[in-house]
Amino acid sequence: MSNRYRVAMTVFVGLWVCSAMAQDDTKVEYLTGVEGERVPLHTVVPLYPEKARRARVEGEVEVCFKVNREGRTSRVGVRRSTNRAFEKPARDAIRASTYKPLSNDQKLSGIKTCRTFRFHLTPVAIEKPET
Amino acid sequence: MNTATTRRLWRTVVACLCLASLSAWSQESKTVLGPTNTDLHEGAEALLDGDAEEGVRKTLRGLTYAASQRDRIAGMSNLCAGYIMLGEPEKGLPYCNQALELNDRNWRALSNRALVYVKLGRLEEAEPDLQKAEEMAPNARTVKIVRSMLLDATNPVAPLVIIDDRRQAAEDDEQ
Repeated sequence: MSNRYRVAMTVFVGLWVCSAMAQDDTKVEYLTGVEGERVPLHTVVPLYPEKARRARVEGEVEVCFKVNREGRTSRVGVRRSTNRAFEKPARDAIRASTYKPLSNDQKLSGIKTCRTFRFHLTPVAIEKPET
Repeated sequence: MNTATTRRLWRTVVACLCLASLSAWSQESKTVLGPTNTDLHEGAEALLDGDAEEGVRKTLRGLTYAASQRDRIAGMSNLCAGYIMLGEPEKGLPYCNQALELNDRNWRALSNRALVYVKLGRLEEAEPDLQKAEEMAPNARTVKIVRSMLLDATNPVAPLVIIDDRRQAAEDDEQ
């Protein structure tokens, strides 16, 4: 499998899974990883905390974790966060996400995988119906 | 925000406002032997339980013999909240107005009226009431929720989550 094909597949799978798992009104953008990383299989999008949304709070959380041969995540830890309100949804999303299992000829690396979640609020334009 | 969340939020706001009125009323009643106006008391409890019809019915009855001004204000503020729960904010508005005529610095009535205005789409009228309520009770959860509802109506936002996988940690460089 060529590298270009592999990266393209990663982006495609990521986008498809993200759009499938997002909340009804949550938009999702996916920035794909560098070559050599584990390939996401089932990406769960964290819920935007309602309290933070109401208070118009935005934030960012970086979570690092191990991925085993079967693609399951473990040792999930928050490495950096701008607001604690976002940490639990981020950890929960990682725990519920999976990666593609390694094939027999692939070696499991000891490198941790990291993912950053950026929680933003975007203005919504509402058009008033004609009376 | 979807419909179910909005509905839950309305119920939380109204329930909290009723609870606040009830607790204020109960504090007063501690100095006498039990509640002086059982209908107002039970009406507030019914509203807290989510039984808006029963709550409004009992509160209306309680108001007919409310002895103190504090009871009347709490009752009218609760009626205003009850009609919001029933989905009839226009019926609640006069009761909020009456409560505020008796005491224009009652933050619960102000917050309730702001909520009525939000519900009726009279957003410009909601702002001054909400500002006053915020000045008087800056930490009140219900006031914060009404503020967010007003913001949702005037400046709605949609959540956006960006998932960034462009970084890989070095081995054991954390924890």
